[in-house]
Amino acid sequence: MPTTKPNPKFAEELSKLNKKLNFMSVINSSANGKSLFSVKDNLCVKGFESRAGSKILSGYIPPFNATAVQRMLDSGYEFVGKTVMDEFGFGSFGTNTDIVAKNPFDETRVAGGSSSGAAVATAVIKNHVAIAESTGGSISNPASFCGVVGFTPTYGTISRYGLIDYANSLDKVGVMGRRAADIRAAFDRIKGADNYDSTCSDSKISSTPTKKLMIIEQLMKGIDSKVLSSFDLLLSKMQGMGYKVEHASLDIIDKAIPAYYIISMAEASTNLAKYDGYKYGEQGKDFTKKYNDFFCDARSSFGIEAKRRIVLGTFVRSASVKDKYYIKALKFRTALTSKLSSILKDSFLISPTMPTVAPKIDEAAGLSLIKAYSMDSLTIPPNLSGLPHISFPCGYANGMPIGAQLISSHFNDYALLDFVESWEKSFKYEFKYNL
Amino acid sequence: MKIGLEVHVALPTKSKLFCACSTDATEPNSSICPICMGFPGSKPMLNRAALDYASNVSRTLGCMPAQMVSFVRKVYFYPDLPKSYQITQLQEPVGVDGSVEISSKKVKIRRIQLEEDPAKIIRESGYTLMDFNRSGIPLLEIVTEPDIASEEELREFLGELRSILYYVGINIEKELKVDLNISLSKARVEVKNVTGIRNLVDAANYEIKRQTELTSKGKEVVQETRSYNEAEVRTESSREKESDEEYGFIFEPDLTSYKLPSSNAKVVLASKVAREYSRKYGAKEKTILELIQFDRESYALMDHAKDKAEMQKIIAVIELLKKYESTGIGNEKFEELLEIAKSGAQINAELIKKVKSGQRVETSSVNLQSIDKEITTMIKNHKELLKEYEKNPKAFNFIVGEVAAKLKANPRDVAIRLRAVLEKGFKD
Amino acid sequence: MEDSDFDRLLKVCRLRLGAQERKRMEADITEIIGYFNTIDNAKVDDLEPSYHPTKISGKLREDKVRPFENPDQLLKGTKTHRFYVVGPDL
Repeated sequence: MPTTKPNPKFAEELSKLNKKLNFMSVINSSANGKSLFSVKDNLCVKGFESRAGSKILSGYIPPFNATAVQRMLDSGYEFVGKTVMDEFGFGSFGTNTDIVAKNPFDETRVAGGSSSGAAVATAVIKNHVAIAESTGGSISNPASFCGVVGFTPTYGTISRYGLIDYANSLDKVGVMGRRAADIRAAFDRIKGADNYDSTCSDSKISSTPTKKLMIIEQLMKGIDSKVLSSFDLLLSKMQGMGYKVEHASLDIIDKAIPAYYIISMAEASTNLAKYDGYKYGEQGKDFTKKYNDFFCDARSSFGIEAKRRIVLGTFVRSASVKDKYYIKALKFRTALTSKLSSILKDSFLISPTMPTVAPKIDEAAGLSLIKAYSMDSLTIPPNLSGLPHISFPCGYANGMPIGAQLISSHFNDYALLDFVESWEKSFKYEFKYNL
Repeated sequence: MKIGLEVHVALPTKSKLFCACSTDATEPNSSICPICMGFPGSKPMLNRAALDYASNVSRTLGCMPAQMVSFVRKVYFYPDLPKSYQITQLQEPVGVDGSVEISSKKVKIRRIQLEEDPAKIIRESGYTLMDFNRSGIPLLEIVTEPDIASEEELREFLGELRSILYYVGINIEKELKVDLNISLSKARVEVKNVTGIRNLVDAANYEIKRQTELTSKGKEVVQETRSYNEAEVRTESSREKESDEEYGFIFEPDLTSYKLPSSNAKVVLASKVAREYSRKYGAKEKTILELIQFDRESYALMDHAKDKAEMQKIIAVIELLKKYESTGIGNEKFEELLEIAKSGAQINAELIKKVKSGQRVETSSVNLQSIDKEITTMIKNHKELLKEYEKNPKAFNFIVGEVAAKLKANPRDVAIRLRAVLEKGFKD
Repeated sequence: MEDSDFDRLLKVCRLRLGAQERKRMEADITEIIGYFNTIDNAKVDDLEPSYHPTKISGKLREDKVRPFENPDQLLKGTKTHRFYVVGPDL
């Protein structure tokens, strides 16, 4: 646990910086700067507004803590605030919401998504870890763009109780930090079975090392040259440390993106059905309206991306096309998981985390939908297959951080943390702020 | 005419299907939590007891034993459905292909599925009121094939099903909710949410009449969903709802597949038992069925019968017990009561009360006190017999014979008293 | 997708869109469904679907009552009437 002397002015300084970088929606004013943790806005913290970046959840104050939050509190960490995010996790840039976080390395650039605020908080607060969540890359992506370490454990390792669902079979609570050791400390306290989450297991987490780094050729297309040269430098350093770098071809990996979006949207469209304006969050007023009209009114508060995913998700699970999309995507997951697992038997998979450095905010807005969806091409495969993965800074280009992503087999999560800890012995991460 | 039913049965678990809220609450919204309210962040956790009940019913209805069961989300919008999807079952329900036998046929059971109840909704003018106490109560939906062809069959089927459920511990006298599918010719009309047997029969009769009249006038019966208006005893065309296309079922990803527990329920089919006893002991099948259909105790008491005459006495005593609303008599006291009945004594409420509370009962012309006195003397004089009685029941009969002969008493009376005295003696 | 199908889909979603928004949405949806169609030729039909990425053991809850610890907080943001939650008209 990172600790230091309490700073009575901490909350004040944090608020000031937050005005500049927009990374927190709620600040705990009693936080004083020692062993802090922030919580992504889609995880419930008792007594604090939790709206998953959505207007429709305005005023939702959960009467319970998410299991991960409760376990952090029980371990003596102090809650510092809720970090902003794309609405319900729907985005790669943190721009699909009302509070758009800015990149601490360049305020004209995005922080990534969907855990945008979590990555910024990690990049600017010293003694802090961020509890975040990834569905298709929402930890790796902003961690890479903001130059921090982002760890997404094996599916079902950390309880999802208290997580405002995006896609239940893909959602994984994870941790961001400035050092792998900080992440390990938090991970050890929050992982493990929970009587409130049927999908959370007590499986033993291993740390089986390997000296083989595997690169999937198909994933290396379309990567920015600055990112590539930084990544190549990493590889040569790793070779110097005794690692063997090998290449594999995996044709089917192209289809991971559509398969991921089909499954995630199908599940999301059911999760978002409950928001109808009379139980929690934003409240409808006119109860004399017929229920369908009342619901439609309430649901007009969803942002455009949420609406798109509801419509697409509802479509792909309609009885007449369900086999063609939803079931097919689930079968594809079987194929992909089996292929990746066999590669991972005796090696790590390695790649850049993102194909580019953090784009400018207006650049991101100008991307076509499919281009935007494809930004997560490197992070989607491990997420779709529930494989543990970690993004860590491996270089800087024109002052912007570049991240690399390491993937291991199911439940071999510690091996990733071991790897990054040893990397940190020879590589120093840069930070612009040190609150 | 073809009638198929979807019978919804609330399971008598202590807690709800997916959360630890009590299923027993009166004040509105007093037994609720983030899970049964569908709060963002909450997750379901399946109740083991609900799965056990489901497994027992599945086995008792002769379903193919399911290996694994899983759940789906059925998405539709209605104010009583907190998550706007119901957790129910589709591909892997708790049972398929069972049947219920009635006198004329086997009514096939298509499937049995476990699901959560929505909240209770009360319609007011200009708004609705919701009580989420009911949200998350475990329901078993039992779906029949359209095998029922008359009101008589409908009644018999419901009686039989309720009896079967009663014997696996599910009493559905009050909370019987049924969707009725009824077709006289081609078009299938569904009448949703009929509560109680009386309403169900009325709704069925109304639909039969309505559809017959339409057909006789040369009009077409529209395939549709209707609801039952209890006050006016008629069915009404009801709201447009999602179709199967639109429910958009997906696997419930907050849960997983579960191994169905193997059922150890004793299968009791009251009508079968009644038939068997009727054949064996000559008693009226209908009489026996009435006594045991919803009465585990009477069923157990009938087990005492050794022959025709005794069965008749047993039935008489059970009827008297029912008449005087006396339950929980227990085997031994029932034996005693049976002996008294056999001696020809009149059984009335007072006597039942006496027997139940273990008081002495005079049953014959011979003074009971004198029997007791003689028994006590016999035991005192034959202490070795007391020891032998434990090992050798013949000793018991010896004393009975001696006392009865000496007092010219009914040996049965003596036997009852002797047993009582001996048992009291053992306790001392 | 036909216009009427799209309208029906929006109705099922309980979403109402303005003319502009609807037009944009329909174009987006068509584009993305086209993209989704690329999984058509994945040769996976003989595989079992993975409802979860890892094997999950079916954990059950024992049938014990445990009342929620903050019942007063549950209906705080909700309009109530005589202990009932108020909802829209039918």
